[in-house]
Amino acid sequence: MSASPFATILSTLTRQRGVRASLVVDESDGIVIESNLQIGQDGDRVAALAASLYRKARLSAGAARLGTATFMQLEAERGRICAAGHNDLVLVVVADPAANIGMIRVEMIKAAGALP
Amino acid sequence: MTITAVETWVEAPLRKFVEEARTVLGLLLHPSGQVVAQFGFARAVDVMSACALAAAIHASSGELGKQLEGKAFRGLHHPGRDRQLYLAEAATSRGAFIFLTVFDQESSFGLVRMYFDTFCKDLAAAAPPMSHQPEVVLEDRFEHELNRNLAALFGRG
Repeated sequence: MSASPFATILSTLTRQRGVRASLVVDESDGIVIESNLQIGQDGDRVAALAASLYRKARLSAGAARLGTATFMQLEAERGRICAAGHNDLVLVVVADPAANIGMIRVEMIKAAGALP
Repeated sequence: MTITAVETWVEAPLRKFVEEARTVLGLLLHPSGQVVAQFGFARAVDVMSACALAAAIHASSGELGKQLEGKAFRGLHHPGRDRQLYLAEAATSRGAFIFLTVFDQESSFGLVRMYFDTFCKDLAAAAPPMSHQPEVVLEDRFEHELNRNLAALFGRG
């Protein structure tokens, strides 16, 4: 049986220090396509909310004539949500506040480009 | 968004769902097809049709699920071009209810499903305890009960 096309992408992201979850999500539906989650992470909830946020950010960037949105980051008290999209797919990462976000961003943009 | 409910205890959970999930239409009904609450509908006749269709779809998809998997399907999602439909069951101490909601691009299936889970919990928590066995709606009284509920929802009671 062959591995899913997203398995390598997700496992590369989850290996980054401070990453709690990485997911490939359908942007329009907010449904998880594949995920790599640590115990205690609610993939469905993260996927639905992150896809909705990313979609609105992408549309806002378009409406403001800023061009294509490439990366979105939400910083909260107890963690960060990062999203990068390609076609109708969104790559979502949930990370600790202390995670190296620069490194995660680079890996996410690279990985998003490799999404089908 | 105006929400009207035949049973007042469903109003707060429903209002929270509408505000959070940003759906455009919603209908809570008994599995028999009797309406309990609605939002987004302008005409009683539309509610009546939607209730009849939702109850029939829920019954037939439930039976199909039992035949295929030994248990009824949990929910039904139908994506249209501009609008999508989600139909699912919410269990409470007062029995099961069917919930039908329609949403557009302001929301998504993932969000609706997520907020529906919260709605089910809120509805179950808000349901007052049953003081007696649920009254069975007999066939000869069904139309009368349906009309009474529609009148209550659309202000012609």
